[in-house]
Amino acid sequence: MASQNIGQSIPRIDARSKVTGQAPYPGDLAMKGMLHMKVLFAERPHARVKSVDTSQAEAAPGVVAVYTAKDVPVNEYGLQIPDQPVLCGPTLTSPSGRGDGVRADIVRFVGDQIAVVAAQTEVQADAAVKLIRVEYEDLPILSDPVTAMKADAPILHPDRGDSNVCVHYKIRKGDVEDAFAKADVIVESEYHTPVQEHAYLQPEAGLSYIDEDGRVTIASGGQWTHADRAGIAHALGLPEEMVRVVYPAIGGAFGGREDLSVQIVLALATWKLQRPVKIIWSRRESIIGHGKRHPVTLKAKWGATKDGKLIAAENEIIGDGGAYMYTSNKVLGNSAITSTGPYFIPNVKTDVYGVYTNNVPGAAFRGFGAPQALYMAELQVNKLAEKLGMDPVEFRLKNALRDGDTMGVGTPAPNPCSVVEVVEAARDKFGWKKKRRPKAAGRGGAKNGLPPIVRGRGFAAGFKNVGFSFGYQENCWAKVEIHGNGKIEHVVLHHASAEVGQGTHTVMIQMAAQALDVPTNIVELKTSDSATQGNPGSVSASRMTFMAGNAIKGAAEAALAKWEAEERPAIAEFKYLAPRTTHMDEETGFSTPNFAYAYSAQAVEVEVDTETGHVRVLRVVAADDVGKAINPDLVIGQVEGGVVQAHGYAVTENFITKDGRVLTDQFSNYLLPTILDIPEKVETVLVEVPDPNGPWGARGVGELPFLPYAPAVAAAIHDATGVWINEFPFTPERVLRALGKI
Amino acid sequence: MKPAPFEYHVPDSLEQALALLKEHGGDAKLLAGGQSLVPAMNFRVVQPGVLIDLNRVSELAYVRQDGENLRIGAMTRERTLEIDPLVAKQSPLLEEAMPHVAHPQIRNRGTLGGSLANADPAAELPVIMLALGARLKARNVSGERWMEAHDFFSGMFTTALAPDEILVEIELPPDLPHTGWSFMEVAPRAGDYALMGVAAQVTLDENGRCRQARLVYLNAGDGPVDAKEAAKILGGEMPNDDVIEAMAELVSRKEINPFGNIHASSDFQRHLAGVLTRKALKQAIERAGEDGLQ
Ligand SMILES: Cc1cc2nc3c(=O)[nH]c(=O)nc-3n(C[C@H](O)[C@H](O)[C@H](O)COP(=O)(O)OP(=O)(O)OC[C@H]3O[C@@H](n4cnc5c(N)ncnc54)[C@H](O)[C@@H]3O)c2cc1C
Repeated sequence: MASQNIGQSIPRIDARSKVTGQAPYPGDLAMKGMLHMKVLFAERPHARVKSVDTSQAEAAPGVVAVYTAKDVPVNEYGLQIPDQPVLCGPTLTSPSGRGDGVRADIVRFVGDQIAVVAAQTEVQADAAVKLIRVEYEDLPILSDPVTAMKADAPILHPDRGDSNVCVHYKIRKGDVEDAFAKADVIVESEYHTPVQEHAYLQPEAGLSYIDEDGRVTIASGGQWTHADRAGIAHALGLPEEMVRVVYPAIGGAFGGREDLSVQIVLALATWKLQRPVKIIWSRRESIIGHGKRHPVTLKAKWGATKDGKLIAAENEIIGDGGAYMYTSNKVLGNSAITSTGPYFIPNVKTDVYGVYTNNVPGAAFRGFGAPQALYMAELQVNKLAEKLGMDPVEFRLKNALRDGDTMGVGTPAPNPCSVVEVVEAARDKFGWKKKRRPKAAGRGGAKNGLPPIVRGRGFAAGFKNVGFSFGYQENCWAKVEIHGNGKIEHVVLHHASAEVGQGTHTVMIQMAAQALDVPTNIVELKTSDSATQGNPGSVSASRMTFMAGNAIKGAAEAALAKWEAEERPAIAEFKYLAPRTTHMDEETGFSTPNFAYAYSAQAVEVEVDTETGHVRVLRVVAADDVGKAINPDLVIGQVEGGVVQAHGYAVTENFITKDGRVLTDQFSNYLLPTILDIPEKVETVLVEVPDPNGPWGARGVGELPFLPYAPAVAAAIHDATGVWINEFPFTPERVLRALGKI
Repeated sequence: MKPAPFEYHVPDSLEQALALLKEHGGDAKLLAGGQSLVPAMNFRVVQPGVLIDLNRVSELAYVRQDGENLRIGAMTRERTLEIDPLVAKQSPLLEEAMPHVAHPQIRNRGTLGGSLANADPAAELPVIMLALGARLKARNVSGERWMEAHDFFSGMFTTALAPDEILVEIELPPDLPHTGWSFMEVAPRAGDYALMGVAAQVTLDENGRCRQARLVYLNAGDGPVDAKEAAKILGGEMPNDDVIEAMAELVSRKEINPFGNIHASSDFQRHLAGVLTRKALKQAIERAGEDGLQ
């Protein structure tokens, strides 16, 4: 009897409107009488704002209003802590007298905002912004976290203590010193991972207006309606009920829309003027204005016994948090959890630091701290296997976390733990055989010894939590209405989750249809409106299928009960609460940080041109345990998209900053991979080991395929050339230098 | 962003276009394929007061054999150069270089004249013109003049064209017998402007000695760089690995002057010049030999 909605690749419900251009993105919205807004960015990494003179801008043609720090009722915001001024200016106290999260007179990165202009046309707003006179006193620039950690470094947030270290996590398990003494092989290395720009297709944009109930309403891209609303309401000094956040179609997010960008200043202008206001950031404004993937320095010392058992890992990880906290505390917490890879290691000592600098803030980005930590962990594993003369896949299987094995934090991952399954699946699909051929020439030997084109293969694994971590009570709301008489004719699902391109809305309809045993075409979705729907949580942490699925199931069951009790229409709400998690202990990291994980492994084949340094990836086999693929085509889409995005991270993109300034501030010099640069072949293996708490067994997928790619490519380059490259992206010049050719 | 406001003219004939250009002089820009000009206008790097669109001047779009020379109109699309059989026959070097110019979508719009007038040191077509010994014809309202490719390019994004002149035609001479060619480049991503590139033409005599050689580099200075000294080494010699090595060394150490960029140091560009010189010379010599030599 049960309908077959789960496991079916139905077409995306938004496919037609997006392909035909009908779906309205924030930049497409317009309203009668709307004004256009432009921002004056500080464009300097560290300075004190001595004065801001807006008189000329105010008198310029078409200008309706110019706002500065003194106009923001509570001049502070931040997803984790309110440590960023909405607008920087000499005004030290917010007009409302509330809010003391941050000193507003200091500019801490190039993307800090000084003023906004609302004018009749965009050109007028742009011209007026250029007439604003700002007097700055430049301050010393901290562009390197290691320098920023030193005792004599200037303090960027003096009101938050006497250090720029804003995050420190410790993991202490067993006794690493004792274990190193017993180890037969030890590998010590230092790794550097780069900044990455989200590069979503649609730059930040939005339209704000007063709705029919008098609420200030912001239509923009985002990842979490209710968190956006809370941040906007706080800064405007308004009760949350007076603020409404709605999402039109969203042109990608990848974590970069978790933090606010245009929303507060739009709402400010609309609230003061009681008029619609629109803004679109340019690509350059987007690149300097929103947070990035944290660049991280990782030092590792790992030991193993000659029979191939990992026995100790000691790690020091320093993440550049940039100017403000954003989600650094959570991102780097996740680096701590994943710093031992998906392996059982009895003795672990890890220290993770997050540091304030004058760089563009580190923020959420697909993988959320795991790609950096896993680059280190997976290369350590590959290097140890090499030293032991063991096959790297065999070595992984020997050390894989299995049910009941404790992670670094001292507790096991929830069952079932499927590292072995994904590693074996990737191995088998790839046709990975143990090595027979001799090792390639090493550095030095490489110079003369290598043919122009060499090939190699590499392997890496990864894991990632599904859902929010560290003691946050995970929750997600849904409402289901059942309409009809004798039989169910129409279903309305209410859920505020953000469709950022991943397909969440389609999957939610499939899950609602399954829960009610009806076909998907009678399910209607009302979505992405903070005024009419409950809190969905963010589309992040690979969580929305898991969380929304459980919420929908709960609401559907409750509505069905009412339906059976003859209520017409039968309407029920449900708030799903996930299993509890705990904080990391301050001294030892002991905790149950997460309630669910998903696992991933990849095998890749690369070709290296030893004369030009170009790395081409020929083949990728990606095995991901998603628990249950609700819509297999969408899962494969996530895997292929994740691999492509990881290819940019690993090989082509190369985000460059100098003294806090962004040099790669356009797509002409930030080199996203094109269709001609990406791996030639990506083969997805869907592994389905159900999570007992997941809806229909689902875990999550969004971040998984990103995780193993960079270390797998590094291992393949080593296999091809004999050289380990501890820093990426693997740009041609970096590869040639590693080969000793320049 | 959008361009600054401008006045727009779309003449149907070359005469009209020349008259408009004379009238508006320095304030006007010619619009060919727009693949370089329009982005620059959108970023407001250039803000012409007047735009004269050449896309309806159909008399400037042709590829035509004229005796032993090939004549190509300035408004000929880059895509045409890639697929035209006359081009392939007359100048296989040009045909070989075309797929490296940007992406197909851009080649569908971009023109030969636009690329040459734009004089980007990283562009392929100026380099090919030097390597082939092309001649370029410019016109203004009062007449025409011919220039050697060498004299046309005068520096970074600058040419010998006067403000009232339109580049109208490019003349390609035939290759000498026993001429081999090669075009090679290295770009960060497929279709990007290259970090380094070389066009090589090598002509052998009946005995297999080099009669004449030409090596021209892109992104190696402030215009196409003609490595005359290196080419001289090969003159009169039987090509061999030692000579090629000496040429590669001379080029990469001395004759080019690459500037580097944020993604690539000039040392890396010099290394690439050496690699490409060796490969391109070998290929050109091999092809010259295939052309009827024992
Ligand atoms: C993404 C991208 C990648 C690219 N990659 C490459 C590449 O790898 N290699 C490469 O060589 N090019 C590349 N290009 C540039 C492309 O080849 C351009 O088409 C070409 O450089 C200019 O040709 P156009 O016809 O579009 O000229 P336009 O952009 O229309 O004009 C360019 C300039 O020439 C002037 N002009 C045009 N025609 C004439 C004429 N007949 N007489 C006098 N002046 C004239 C114009 O006034 C203008 O100043 C790329 C472009 C893009 C957008």
